[in-house]
Amino acid sequence: MPDASPSHSPESPGSSISPRKPQSPGIAAGPSGHPSDGAPAPAAVRALRVGVAGPVGTGKSSLIALLCRELSEELQLAVVTNDVYTDEDARMLRAAGVLDPDRIRAVETGACPHTAIRDDVTANLLAVEDLEHDFEPLDVVLVESGGDNLTATFSPALVDAQVFVLDVAGGGDVVRKGGPGIARADLLVVNKTDLAPYVGVDAALMAREGAQVRDGRPVIPLSRSDAASVDALCAWLRTTLVAHRAGSHTPEDPGPMAPHHHAAGRAPAEGRSHTHGPADTHDGGDGVHGH
Amino acid sequence: MAVVHPELAALLLADGRLPVGGHTQSSGLEPALLAGMSAQRVPELIGTRLRTTVTVDAAVAVVARHHVLSGLCLAAVQDAWAARTPSEVTRAASVAVGRGHRRLLLRMWPDTLSSDAVRELRAPSRPVAVGAVAAAAGLDPWATARLVAYDDVQALCAAALKLCPLDPLDTTEWLLAAGSAIEVMVASVAQLTAPEAIPAPSAPLLEAWQHHHPDHPRRLFSA
Repeated sequence: MPDASPSHSPESPGSSISPRKPQSPGIAAGPSGHPSDGAPAPAAVRALRVGVAGPVGTGKSSLIALLCRELSEELQLAVVTNDVYTDEDARMLRAAGVLDPDRIRAVETGACPHTAIRDDVTANLLAVEDLEHDFEPLDVVLVESGGDNLTATFSPALVDAQVFVLDVAGGGDVVRKGGPGIARADLLVVNKTDLAPYVGVDAALMAREGAQVRDGRPVIPLSRSDAASVDALCAWLRTTLVAHRAGSHTPEDPGPMAPHHHAAGRAPAEGRSHTHGPADTHDGGDGVHGH
Repeated sequence: MAVVHPELAALLLADGRLPVGGHTQSSGLEPALLAGMSAQRVPELIGTRLRTTVTVDAAVAVVARHHVLSGLCLAAVQDAWAARTPSEVTRAASVAVGRGHRRLLLRMWPDTLSSDAVRELRAPSRPVAVGAVAAAAGLDPWATARLVAYDDVQALCAAALKLCPLDPLDTTEWLLAAGSAIEVMVASVAQLTAPEAIPAPSAPLLEAWQHHHPDHPRRLFSA
């Protein structure tokens, strides 16, 4: 099991593991200050790690660029991107000029973006930890998932909080279709509200329906040309960072995953498909769901 | 500390679902295909790798295992691996997965000779880390070398299904067809104990392809 499960809260997945011997001081806080190893830095001490997921084209990269543009003066930020072809998003973000290009790193996912944020988060975790080490002290690391389907969510072993991004152009009914990210991500963003009149979607209704399936969790209708909505997004991130530092933020797992298939590289008809019940989440990066 | 039957441990370590980041690599297949190698020649690529880079990696893992169990430092083994892996790109890809194995090892087998050995080595190569894990999990040298070979070939086969139009049974057949070559390789490295005895066969063309992989703008795998 990856050993970086957030460990600051009694509910965190790592807490069910039997106690571990503390690392020797030379490793946990050596001269290089490198984190990771057996004992990750306490979550409240290290950067807040925020995942950004959602279907292709809904504006995940733009949202990250927006946050960098608005907050890079105020907060120390870094970004990890996952993409189908390696570094498209990283190059777009670097070209946007909103953050030091060295603070933007791309991770190859072997054509499995959902695996890289959920079942085997190793490559992403190492990239996050390297950024935290190279640019210490960071306030927030944003991890962008490759555009995937409605069921892709981050493992709590990788991020402390996650944003799920939809857009009005994808259709007003997407929120009603639901899914773990829509219903239980820490924040749901309904993006590109300025396009709503052109695609015949009622953005306010879409946000209300989102709020209904989310049991009180926040929804932000966003347009980068609507300053109030941008302020709301930035305020959410600041509030989450404060809670993270205070140790009062608990990483929540939006799981369960959708029916998926367990025999890598075999025809679906020959593999085993199943779903997990709500109690049977994939907490802690159990690593048994490779694809 | 996890105590399991060595055969169960070997199955676990060979499983592509092991969370060490192995799914991000193609054992040099994607670089070869992007360089224009025909998909028909993949079985030959497997054979060439087994005689060259996989031989080096398996020998490194076997010697690393021995060093751990003998209480020796792994730095010399890591140096021997680096000297036989000339591209820094290939070395970085190996270290990426090596760090995944190191993380696994520190969590699953703390307070062992293996964890002590890798704690001093922050960025072990994949075979050095696998050798240390093999020592902790009770694998013998033959199983250790076979694990390295299986992992390399199977990673290539899994990547092939994403990169080429193939019947998945074709790639399964490739692995089994490589079985005798794997055993020849295993027998050639299993008795090694010293870093200087690690063989140094090379595959310059494959290494050049891998070395240029990061320059390619549209790639799915890191190596």
